[in-house]
Amino acid sequence: MARSAKAVPWFLFAAGGTITAFVLPVMLFVTNLAPPVGLFSEAMSWETMYGFVGNWLVKLVLLGIIGFGLWHAAHRLRVCAHDFGIRADTVVAYIVYGVAGLATLATIWALLMI
Amino acid sequence: MSKRTIQLEVLRYRPEQDKEPFFQTYTVPCEEEWVVLDALNYVKDEIDRTLSFRWSCHMFVCGSCGYKIDGEPKLGCKAFLRDYGDNIRVEPLDNFPIERDLVVVIDDFVEKLQSVKPYIIAKEEKALAAGEYIQTPAQLKAFKQYSMCINCLLCYSACPQYGLTNQEFIGPAALALAHRYNMDSRDVGRSAREHVLAAHEGVWECSFVGACSVVCPKDVDPAGAIQQAKFTSAVDYLTSMVGIGGK
Amino acid sequence: MGARRPYMRTMSKTSWFMTHARFKTYMLHEISSVFVALYMWLLIDGLFRLAKGPEAWEAWLSFIKHPLVVVISLIAFAFFVIHTMSWFKAVPQAMRIQQGEHFVDGKLIIGGHYAALGAFSLFVLILAGVA
Repeated sequence: MARSAKAVPWFLFAAGGTITAFVLPVMLFVTNLAPPVGLFSEAMSWETMYGFVGNWLVKLVLLGIIGFGLWHAAHRLRVCAHDFGIRADTVVAYIVYGVAGLATLATIWALLMI
Repeated sequence: MSKRTIQLEVLRYRPEQDKEPFFQTYTVPCEEEWVVLDALNYVKDEIDRTLSFRWSCHMFVCGSCGYKIDGEPKLGCKAFLRDYGDNIRVEPLDNFPIERDLVVVIDDFVEKLQSVKPYIIAKEEKALAAGEYIQTPAQLKAFKQYSMCINCLLCYSACPQYGLTNQEFIGPAALALAHRYNMDSRDVGRSAREHVLAAHEGVWECSFVGACSVVCPKDVDPAGAIQQAKFTSAVDYLTSMVGIGGK
Repeated sequence: MGARRPYMRTMSKTSWFMTHARFKTYMLHEISSVFVALYMWLLIDGLFRLAKGPEAWEAWLSFIKHPLVVVISLIAFAFFVIHTMSWFKAVPQAMRIQQGEHFVDGKLIIGGHYAALGAFSLFVLILAGVA
């Protein structure tokens, strides 16, 4: 039996799982649940948000959250596919990690434009 | 002592006459303090001598009497009738071929257990006269929980990944034991176990359903052991990757 | 007499998780990944619109306020909470902290995680409220 390369994405999955567990509930509340009821309208305005995300430290934190979040979701989706009876694990792995990689690059690109 | 009558539904399979397994119901007069194994023994002694099942110690030490009781993998000697209704369903463990009635074929597990080298691989074999291998209580504590396994296979019955991979997954008990020896301060065999442990069929086929740890009658927590083993083999993998890159 | 003929019972590879309550719980936290992926996609889209200018950002905000998106967001929130709870619950198993001959109580480790979660969430809410 050969050593599995699953070790690498698993590390990203584990780190992403921890980060998302701490960050996502409150973050989703601020970005998605508060605006419809008129909460935090000042913070969610373009001026405030643009200035906030313009800070390079904030950019780095956002890249951390989104990047690790993507790889966490990708790895778990791979396991999900297996659990739903999809046996083409290698194909699934290429797709989910490929999308996660591209989306990570897109995140960096978007952040550099702000 | 109060008497009670239960209906024991047992999955029967007699290879010489049955095409497939079927449930047979026995009416068993029980004592309140009986366990499921007592009821099975009553059936064997008083009702139907042809019923086959494994058991030995009757005190959760030998690990022979693992059955699926009301849908849950349990030791027959640890499943008290007072915790069940008047209808109790007893089946062989999942994920193993049925040899006969409640007896399953465990060759696959035995092979897997051997493959992880579940014994101390010392740096150098000392002569008996050279004295013992010293270990502190703290060093013992590090792995003791994982050494309590009695190979009862309840965890393999509970593990969906063992079934989903058509039994290719090395599985909870064998991996937990591999981890137990890796954590032993007297052992240096980690690299000898790595080709099994760090393989795709090793720790990486585990998706942390956690069922193994829930059903374990000895509180071994194989799921925890496997996650820790994932971490150490991931670190090993990354450092060896960096090592190759540096050369 | 005695010819062996072991019988292997089959297991559904596509609906096995419906056979036990703990498998359903497991699948719930696995499926949370779908909502994490959707949310990450929404955030990346938001960043591009933020870079583009106020109008594009406003369009993103009105998308967020669309009733259907609000419903999906509420479901996603439930899944994020499920993910957080199951992740924290598993920490003491995956990461044991040994002090001498004892392990730190798992409940203490989990409690610490919830305390940190509370503190961080409060910090973000105050930050969003002050801005």
